[in-house]
Amino acid sequence: MSVTIVSEPHEEGMHPTLPQLVRAASVIGESCTVIIPGGNGADEASKIQGVGKVIKLNGACFSVFDSSTWSAAISGLVDGTVLMATTPVGRELSASIAAGLGRSVVQDVTSIAPGIKVERPAYSGKAVESISVSGDAVITIRPNAIESAESGGSADVSTVDSGEDLRIAVLEAIAKAGERLDVSEADIIISGGRGLGDRSNFEKLESVADSLGAAVGASRAVVDEWGLPHSMQVGQTGKTVTPSLYIAVGISGAIQHLAGMRSSRYILAINKDPEAPIFGVADYGIVAQWEDALPILHEAIKSLP
Amino acid sequence: MGYEALDFYDVDSLLTDEERMIRDVVRDWVDESVIPKIENACREGVFLDEWRQELGGMGILGAPLKGYGCPGLSYTAYGVICRELERGDSGIRSFASVQGSLAMYPIWDFGSEEQKEKYLPGMASGELIGCFGLTEPDYGSNPGDMVTKAEEDDDHYILNGAKMWITNGTIADLAVVWAKLDGVIRGFIVEKGDEGFSAPEMKGKHSLKASVTSELVFQDCKIPKDRILPGVKGLRGPFSCLNNARYGISWGAVGAAQSCFDSARSYAMSRIQFDHPIAAYQLVQNKLAWMLREITKAQLLAYHLGVKKDSGEWVPEHISLAKMNNVDIALEIARVARDIHGANGILDEYPVMRHMANLESVKTYEGTHDIHNLILGRHITGIQAFTREA
Amino acid sequence: MKVAVLIKQVPDTTARISIAGGSVDEGSISKWTISPYDEYALEAALKLQSESGAKVVAITLGPQRSSKSLIDAAAVGADELIHVLYEGASGSLSLQGALAAAVRKSEADIVLAGKQAADTNSGSTAPGVAQMLGLPCVGLVSEVKAVDGNFVATRSTSSGMERVSVNGPCVFAFDKGDEELRRPNVRGIMMAKKKPIESLSPADLGVSMEDGGVNVESVGYPPEKPAGQTFQGAASASEVVTKLREEANVI
Repeated sequence: MSVTIVSEPHEEGMHPTLPQLVRAASVIGESCTVIIPGGNGADEASKIQGVGKVIKLNGACFSVFDSSTWSAAISGLVDGTVLMATTPVGRELSASIAAGLGRSVVQDVTSIAPGIKVERPAYSGKAVESISVSGDAVITIRPNAIESAESGGSADVSTVDSGEDLRIAVLEAIAKAGERLDVSEADIIISGGRGLGDRSNFEKLESVADSLGAAVGASRAVVDEWGLPHSMQVGQTGKTVTPSLYIAVGISGAIQHLAGMRSSRYILAINKDPEAPIFGVADYGIVAQWEDALPILHEAIKSLP
Repeated sequence: MGYEALDFYDVDSLLTDEERMIRDVVRDWVDESVIPKIENACREGVFLDEWRQELGGMGILGAPLKGYGCPGLSYTAYGVICRELERGDSGIRSFASVQGSLAMYPIWDFGSEEQKEKYLPGMASGELIGCFGLTEPDYGSNPGDMVTKAEEDDDHYILNGAKMWITNGTIADLAVVWAKLDGVIRGFIVEKGDEGFSAPEMKGKHSLKASVTSELVFQDCKIPKDRILPGVKGLRGPFSCLNNARYGISWGAVGAAQSCFDSARSYAMSRIQFDHPIAAYQLVQNKLAWMLREITKAQLLAYHLGVKKDSGEWVPEHISLAKMNNVDIALEIARVARDIHGANGILDEYPVMRHMANLESVKTYEGTHDIHNLILGRHITGIQAFTREA
Repeated sequence: MKVAVLIKQVPDTTARISIAGGSVDEGSISKWTISPYDEYALEAALKLQSESGAKVVAITLGPQRSSKSLIDAAAVGADELIHVLYEGASGSLSLQGALAAAVRKSEADIVLAGKQAADTNSGSTAPGVAQMLGLPCVGLVSEVKAVDGNFVATRSTSSGMERVSVNGPCVFAFDKGDEELRRPNVRGIMMAKKKPIESLSPADLGVSMEDGGVNVESVGYPPEKPAGQTFQGAASASEVVTKLREEANVI
């Protein structure tokens, strides 16, 4: 079965998900063709083991994201199953390619097996769908769900030019004013409680939040005592949140706070008191001074691929 | 999990689609605009002005009244609205009850065409706030012997007297005041700026703190002749209003009880003691099961009362039964819910003690528990037992 | 101008999902709502209605119960309502095909939709429908304005936001915006009763609902999380981060 990977353009070279997509391709087919719109990182891509050939797809249209134009440029080069990464660009582009080719698309799979059999989360992670997909479908794969393929390949790199015209024009870029997400919207939340000791220590949580794209929350005690905005409060009289990951730093886990966050998919707690009630609900509990543990946590996060 | 309204016998499945949509709109509004702000409003003893605006914007004030910009909904819909408001706080529901049943209703039923057109549209939209002046410092359960007087003077009436325990009084643009004109109880519309009228707020309440409770003071209060309500004389006037308000309260109490049950159940499932959630212990389950029983009965009582109200086949005693029963059990449910919450139940982290304190007022106003008891006693026996005279 | 809004009825996002016999037990779902991102699309459509007098047609595809989402849309101001009545499951190709056909029938000039539905969390519908209609698609939109027959939209990018323009008809997929969503009032609810719902089958639209090569074989609960693990000492934080990436797959 042939597999075509459409790799997303990435400023720094090849997109970090590409090796994972190549591994997935090797599970379901023989070698795969990698198409890179804009061509950046083609040489790096050619060195992944399992890549049959790399196509640098050049065109002025790849300077602006326009899914209908890009899919017009790409679709003619597609052969067999199409794999992409589930990113904002990947979701839109894969769906456009699929519809244009008269195929269905399956988004955000977390596992893939020959057949083709895939699993994907649904209902915001409350359920898992097991799906069988025919060979010519378009599938996007969740980043970091599949291991990367090894390096050591040497595929051919060819160039194709596309003359498609953009249908979307950019009028102006508006840089976001560095707004952090609100706790009610974030998929990852890092919260602080009395154990932080001083309001100024919330800055340390904020920098971890920036590395994770997370929101910063707080227990009622510190909102009341340190005058933090009420919008940060998680708990019985604050917000009830259901993120994929809730990191509780210096929070003992009083019942009122638990009421607001116990439905989080995963809970990580850092507290120096091994008897703190928060450890009763934590999936990962670190018994340590937060001042020592947090910097190590942050470094480890920053060095993740 | 969000709020789960107990409805064990699926009583809400008996509602129309529109009544359910209205329920959802009010429920969502309470979640978004009341729950996050009510504890603070309670601490500070204020009724937020934005609630008035938002209630008006939803179009639910004066729910069962037809025409003049009023919603024209069924009594069942009115009941559902009261239930959802009181799930938030009895003070919020009191505002709507007073506005709709006690201030808009008498103008709608007993007012002149000019009065209806002058006041009702603005009251329906929430721009004008109304209140109802019947109770006096010395005349509560016995309103018939009130002493507030109206005297004719040329082209005016002069009012003298005082009313007490008046919800919305201090913030009201108009008051529907019941006073004796030549010994006969009549209704008069007094406006905020009228000469000789003041409405000081009553402070120091332990109950209905997020609600404005006032005195209305009339010292040679001069109002134009066209302010008298032409369509009614005697106690029938105020009592018609009270019947409507009491009906809404019978539903409202269910909402307060549902809120307490939801909080108690949720707390009992999370509070661990002796290694188990307290919901695993028999005495706690007994309390929760009792609450479920009483709430279910109260829901059916309120719903069927709504059916009777909408069909026109009702007497005031029907309303007395539901008001009395539902408020009584709601207060007991609030107390038991507080007990289940343990010490945490005294904090305003949880709504239970606020509901408990509010329901003390709700049990007393709009006809005390004992008075409704005697209304039923008179209905059963034909013998009045309110007074010591024959 | 006519604006089509694609709305989907989904279980309320706070509802518990009960699974029995390999599929979701619909009977256990206590509350159904319009998918949250679709509400932002609807709000944007209603803004175009008040700003430019556009007509808003709400379109849903689903079983009988989905008509409630059209009534809810009518209660906040949607002018026309189209229900593509379909009781089964299907792959994205046929679902998008049916929606595209309904949009064509409605003669809408632009299409607004939510970026992804709260049940599937896929995000394929807007770009797929756009492709079938031969229209461009702009995703992650927070705002759309009509400007002399063209449309100017604000969309998210990896580095922030940008304002883009599109000539003529287009599909816009909405993310959560800063706009407060309008709530129905009683008047809207009572008027919604009077708006007729045009009910069509896929066959009426000339669309066959073959699964297009995708078959959901079963639905199950996510695997049980392993029991909570406790680690002693600050140094364990790096091990925990690895577990968050590899075991939990949450970062």
